[in-house]
Amino acid sequence: MASLRVRRLLGPSRRWFSETVPGAPSPPASPLYPPVVASITAKSKAAKSRRLQRFNQRVHAAATVEEKLRLYGKLQRPKYTVYPQTFALNADRWYRSFTRTVLVPGMPPRAAAAKRSVAAAGATPEAGRAPEPGVEAPAAAEAPGPAKTPEPAAGAAPYVDIGDLRSLACDALLQESFYQKKKRPFLYRDQDHTPGPFLTQLVSTLAASLSGRNPLLAASSLDLNPEVNYYWHHGEEVVLHGHRKGRVDPVRFQIDDNPHLQIRVPKQLPEVVPLESDLGDVPVIDHKPSKLPLFKKQYENKVFIGSKVADPCCYGHTQFHLLPDKLKRERFIRERLEDQIEVVYRSNGIASLFAWTAAQAMYQGFWSEADVTRPFVSQAVVTDGKYFAFFCYQLNTLALTAETIKNNPRKNICWGTDSKPLYDVVEDGNVKGFNDEVLLQLVLFLLNRPKEL
Amino acid sequence: YPLFQRGGPQLRIFRPNFFMLLVRPGVPQPEDTVQFRVSMEMTKVDIRNYLEKIYNVPVAAVRTRIQYGANNKRNHRNQRVKKPDYKVAYVQLGQGQTFQFPNLFPEKEQDAETRSFDDFRDKFMEKEKQKQEGDPRRGGVPDWFGL
Repeated sequence: MASLRVRRLLGPSRRWFSETVPGAPSPPASPLYPPVVASITAKSKAAKSRRLQRFNQRVHAAATVEEKLRLYGKLQRPKYTVYPQTFALNADRWYRSFTRTVLVPGMPPRAAAAKRSVAAAGATPEAGRAPEPGVEAPAAAEAPGPAKTPEPAAGAAPYVDIGDLRSLACDALLQESFYQKKKRPFLYRDQDHTPGPFLTQLVSTLAASLSGRNPLLAASSLDLNPEVNYYWHHGEEVVLHGHRKGRVDPVRFQIDDNPHLQIRVPKQLPEVVPLESDLGDVPVIDHKPSKLPLFKKQYENKVFIGSKVADPCCYGHTQFHLLPDKLKRERFIRERLEDQIEVVYRSNGIASLFAWTAAQAMYQGFWSEADVTRPFVSQAVVTDGKYFAFFCYQLNTLALTAETIKNNPRKNICWGTDSKPLYDVVEDGNVKGFNDEVLLQLVLFLLNRPKEL
Repeated sequence: YPLFQRGGPQLRIFRPNFFMLLVRPGVPQPEDTVQFRVSMEMTKVDIRNYLEKIYNVPVAAVRTRIQYGANNKRNHRNQRVKKPDYKVAYVQLGQGQTFQFPNLFPEKEQDAETRSFDDFRDKFMEKEKQKQEGDPRRGGVPDWFGL
């Protein structure tokens, strides 16, 4: 009785348990409760990893490269400022460990093969060049026959006239140091007085004259005193003082560099060796970076190649660095630190090129969680006016943080030469002891271009 | 004394309080770095000359800092007692030399007699401890508990 009245009270629309209407779809099997995950705000390792994952997802999901860079460098904390031009002893070993770079002495092999063909072309006497260009080209093509590199020989067949370029370089040098009347340089400003303007003049005239041979140079952009910045994490440390004491933090680095000159191009230079090649070992240094000495500061985390993201010339070609007065050779010789002279060139080359190539990679959307899929190659020339050292850098990996470096077998590679003098001395309107090899290497650097062009 | 001018006779000798004390670094330092406590009046140039001329040690670089001694301890009269300040110098050696602070208190090798005596002593102490504790089957309950 009671059950019948209850049924009527429920009404005709209510369905009793035993009266399931056939044909109605069963509800989708979604979980009744939200997933059980770690907290976001707790002071625990699980919470920290969840916050990191959310940050990584935000950066991955960013629509534009500018947004990615903004999120990447948003959180400001004290970081080590790495100076490419430093007087610290054995700085290049430390810099190689910070940037996971292998240093290979000498220039990469493709440059050597092209060098032989161009040198053979240039070495045939310039006096007879005008009447017999047709004879020179086959001679140049035959000389590197055993080298088995048909492309550079064919590419160098319109050969480069070293005599012309040598006269250009000597003109620039004499103009700056002999013909032009200059007052005495201000104290500790010797480098801005003569070698600086000479380098600018040399590079701009050489680039202009070689742009006929190298169409990439014709489309390039030459920056005067640009700024190059890069910010990255490498390794971990425990915070010692302050309200965040005891927490594990990544070690942050920032490079702020001002090369003297820079050439940016719209197309990327070709890779020198495959992405996963292993050409040596990276030095491992157990000590804290502050023992180098390196100091911490907190300021804007900037990533910049010399132009903003929208610029079409977003790949790097060559940088030119001028060493300051503080790091001149005479000072090292006076303090009996002759081995540190080369260290200065190497540390400048490695740090500046790492910052530039890594910033170029970030401009293309890669970062430490999204590693590069193709290697980024750039070149640099470090000089103090008379001595020139050449560097070529290939960036194979950006994943240097403590998490991503665990399973990362790739290393960045830097080829570098020792410093060689371009000339011996300038007197009475003559340049004595001009070194053709250095000029040749400079010309080869400027002529470097992707294979399609 | 007459006023001294360059080239004149040196009539006075100055004997400044320059001392250097080699210390073990509190935090690990790179292999070519040696840590000293030096007199507060010494400069980096003074430290370099001191090491190079008196001890013939090639010095590549010197960095100094002044360690402030705290003033927080109090004596029996509630006056603050200051620990003295001192200057610390980090000297990087030249010509690729390295230095490791030696272990001043190495553990001496024990001969067979002392080793067997130590073993015997340890076993004896263990037996004494077991006698003091009660039956392990009682699970730590004291022996006065029970019927």
